[in-house]
Order: sequence, then structure tokens, then C-alpha cells
Amino acid sequence: MKKTPPLVRLVYVSRNRLSGDAATMEREVANILAVSRRNNVRAGVTGALLFNADCFAQTLEGRRDAVEAVFERIQCDPRHSDTVVLQLEQAVPAFADWSMAYGGRLDDERARFDRLSNDADQATRGAAADSVLALLRSVVSRALPALG
Amino acid sequence: MKTTAVHSHRLCAHCGSERAPGDVLTGLADRAMFADRLAASLSRRRGRSRRRPAAAEQPGGLAVLLIDLDRFKAVNDTLGHAAGDALLRAVAKRLRGALRAEDIAARLGGDEFAVLLAPPTTAESTAAIAERLVEMLSRPYLIDGGVATVGASVGAALCPGGGEVEAELLLRRADMAMYQAKNDGRGRYRLFEPAMQERAEARRKLEADLRAALALGQFELHYQPQINLATHRLTGFEALLRWRHPLRGMVPADSFIALAEELHLLPTIGEWVVRTACTDAIGWPGAPTVAVNVAAQQFQNGWLVPSIAAALQASGLPAARLELEVTESALLHNGSVAIEQLMALKALGVTISLDDFGTGYSSLTQLRSFAFDRVKIDRSFASDPAVARAVAALGASLGMRTTAEGVETAEQLNRLRAEGCTDAQGFLLSRPVPAADVVGVIDRFAIDGGVPGAPIPNFHEKSGTRKRERAA
Repeated sequence: MKKTPPLVRLVYVSRNRLSGDAATMEREVANILAVSRRNNVRAGVTGALLFNADCFAQTLEGRRDAVEAVFERIQCDPRHSDTVVLQLEQAVPAFADWSMAYGGRLDDERARFDRLSNDADQATRGAAADSVLALLRSVVSRALPALG
Repeated sequence: MKTTAVHSHRLCAHCGSERAPGDVLTGLADRAMFADRLAASLSRRRGRSRRRPAAAEQPGGLAVLLIDLDRFKAVNDTLGHAAGDALLRAVAKRLRGALRAEDIAARLGGDEFAVLLAPPTTAESTAAIAERLVEMLSRPYLIDGGVATVGASVGAALCPGGGEVEAELLLRRADMAMYQAKNDGRGRYRLFEPAMQERAEARRKLEADLRAALALGQFELHYQPQINLATHRLTGFEALLRWRHPLRGMVPADSFIALAEELHLLPTIGEWVVRTACTDAIGWPGAPTVAVNVAAQQFQNGWLVPSIAAALQASGLPAARLELEVTESALLHNGSVAIEQLMALKALGVTISLDDFGTGYSSLTQLRSFAFDRVKIDRSFASDPAVARAVAALGASLGMRTTAEGVETAEQLNRLRAEGCTDAQGFLLSRPVPAADVVGVIDRFAIDGGVPGAPIPNFHEKSGTRKRERAA
């Protein structure tokens, strides 16, 4: 009998490569969200996304193979770059009700991760992962659940 | 026009039956298919340009990109071969996803990929896609519950619209650009430039010349005197390797030692150095010592001890007159293997010194790892009395002599003596001289005692090339 892959949570940040003014960027992110929600429902993946002018921060949750597939598709997207994985571990979904919760645009010091690199040590990444998750939780709980 | 894929079905080498072409692991083209497609693209262009010879600005440039993954071996080693294969498949997918339908992506083997950018392609578009590939392929991969990260180095060569380049030459150019990308630190792309070809050719020639140098008798040893600072007497010479090439002239050690190491020629050259130094030294009046540098590579094949024993026996030089200089890095790279060989050499009666101290880790552990007879302070500290004092004190308490290298002025010499150095070597005392002049130098030092401050005749030769004097 084949074992069901475990549930995992992935947290990553990447550099925002969208150009244009705030409204254009919002529109583009709305497109990204629409596509990712459609794909995530099909893949059984949940999560949350926020962005600012510099970077994206996203968490993906679900069966390991599904999360890996969704992540790999996102890595082929030229609208961002320089991905840094902050966390990949077995975890109970924190955004189970959201195909992709949207934290919106957050031009805030708390959301600056542009200095992180793949060479960062485990502790640095762990701390960054925790703060990204906390940030996502706080903005999502303030948002309207109707988005899901 | 529909082109027929002549080579689309080849016979399987193992079973003789037809199989789908391409790379089985990734679904990309394989090496043979890539070569076919490249040749076909180039000949199509040639046909077109013959039909329209007047067309000055032809649009159809194409480009070849070679892509090597950096640190792929580490993924294979740590996550296993299945994960390595999964990573290669993901790389292929990212690659394919970043290209147009008419471009060709191939896996040439192992972690080597290639891309043919179909016309229209310009230098600008090639650079843009190469940059994007480096970044995209360097993003993390999630594989079997782990995160894997590799880098990518890309070498690209363009066949401009209207230009004609043979497939093989285009690939070679891309390969030279790849060499440059790796040499510049990996994780980047380089476009081929003619200067790369010149550099590659110059390097190839230097390599060939260096491989032949020993057989052609182009190496020679020059000898630099070493002076006892208490008695002002000449005590010995350090043998320094020189390469006299009929066309290149005297090649500085800096420009060939690193290459000789890369080509793994140092063990053989090193053996010649020891043999020659022993034979030269046997005839020197007053029985001064001769010091020979031992390279890290010489510790690696197990020949070092027997070859030195043989050189002593063949020349008849008493072991006590031979000194071997080893650097910290040579010890670091060879660990206990090196120490064992040094102990065997010391048992033969040979003297051992730690060379270039101060430039590497300068670790006390290293200094105590073996009972060195001497520590040589690197020439970069000739004007640093604090370092000289510290090392001399350390040397004295560990029972080692301390030699200051690179002494160029009388002030330096006096200060180094005051700080406790026991011996000195440098241009002030004498530059390295050819073997034939050694006896003359010995005579000169015997007459005037080599008194510092009253420099030895000949020392005032212009020392415009105060480069590091290193021997193999």
C-alpha cells in the first residue's frame, strides 16, 4: 500500500520583478492570485501571499508532493526572482480555509526580506520564517474571509 | 516547408530496435540530436544567404548556450542519485519553460545542458536569456522533502545574422565562454569574445611548452644565499626554480608554478629539483646547506621519501646539508600523511623548515604539529618588527631557527636581527644566482663576511622585479 505523503508547510520569499505603478502592480498580483487559487484548489494546496515593492512572501501548505509541484511551477515564473526558502517542514495547515489568502500590499519594515540569501544559516532562516508566518497570519485575520 | 527529421529515429545501441530519440531522463534532446539540429540550422542559414547574397542586414542570428550546474555533485552526494535525477528533470523543465517553442534544449550528459536559440537572436537577446537562465536555475528545488540549491554557469556564442560559423567552432566558442564564466567565479554567464580565444590558445601553448620543459632541459636552479645574523657568515642557499624558454625567455615562477600544479607536474619537477640541487651542492666549498621547496602534491604519491633518499645517495650529499621547505598549506592539505613523511625524512638526517610563515593560517597547532628545525617568516613581514619579534620568540622557545625572508634594506636587516631573527635571506644580501656563480658568491662572502650595512658588491643590481621567488 502506498503511503500518503505527509502534510508540509513551505515558507519562502522572493524578489518582486513586477514593474509599473502601484495600480498596475495590484492588477498583476490580482491575476497571479486568480491563477494560483484555481491551481491550488485543484492541487489541494492552501496558503497565503503578500507583497510589497521589493518582494513576495508566500506560504504553501498541503501534501508534500502537491506543494513541491506548485512551488516548482512558481519557480518558472519570471515575475519574481532570487527565491529563498525559509522553511519546509511537516505542519498542520494554518491557512486551511484559503486556497490562497491575500495579505495585500504591505510597504512596511516588517516585510523587508531582501537581504536574505540562500546562504543564510538555519537560525536566520528559521527566525525569518516565523516572522513571515506571523505577518501572514496577522494580515489575513484582518482581511475579509470572502476572498477564499 | 515541412522539414523531415532524418535522424528522428535512431537505433538503440543495446537492443538494436528503434527507440524514441533524446535524453531519456529529462525528455530533452540528447547530444547527438543537438548536434544534428545545430548543423541543420546553420546549413539552412547558409542556403538562404547564398540565395540572397545582396542582403546586407540578414536577421537570422542564432546562438548556442552551454550550461553547467554548479555544486550538482554535492546534491547527488548528500541527497542521493534519485534526488539528483529529480533535480535534473526539474532543471530541464525550467529550461524548457524559459525558451521559445522553436529553441532547442538538450542535456549533453551528466549536469551539462545546452540551448540553441533559434533565429532571430541577437547578442542582446542572448545575454538576456542567459542571465535569466542563471537566475532561474539557481532558485531552490524541493525534492523528496528537502531543499536543494545548485548554481548555473553559462557560456554563450553567437552566430550573427549574415555570418557563417561552423557548428563545431560555435560549440568551442561557447565552451571558452563557459570556461571564462567558471573562472570568473561561476553562477554567471559570459558571451564569447575573440579575446577568450586568444587567451585559450595562449594557455594551451603554455601548457604544451610546460609539459615539454623538463624533457627539453629548460628548467634551471638559481640559488639565493642565506646568512647567519650572529656570525654574518653564509650558511646555505635556497634553490629556486627557473624556466628558460627559447622564445619566452626567463618565465617568472609566478606564471608557471600554479599551472604546473594544475597539470600535476609538480611531483616530477620536484624530483628533478631535489636531484639537481644535491648534485650542484656537492661541489660547493665550505659545505653550505641547500634548501629545496616541497610542494603539496609531492606528499600525495608516496614517492617523496624514496626519491629524496635516492637523490642523496646518488649525489653523495650528506643528509644534514639538505633542507626541505614546506608550506603550511601543504601540511594542511595532506594532514598526517605529510607529517609521517616529514618524520621519515628527518630520520634520514634531512632538516625541515616551515616556509612562508604568516601568510596562511599561521596556526600554533601547525607550528607544533612537527618538530621543525626552522621557521621562515614570509617576505611580506620584512618591515614588520612586531611580527618578526613574535615569531622569533616563538621559534626560540620551540628550539627552531628563524629566518627572515625578503630582506631588501640594511635598516630591515638590523631591525630583524634586533628582534631576534637568527638568519636572513633577500636581495640586500644577494639576488638568486645561477648555479655557475655560486662559488663566486661563496668566495665573496668569505672575504667581506657579508657585513650588512656594507652591502655586498653586485647587490645593487636593479631589483625592479621583486616578485615572489617560489620554487616547486
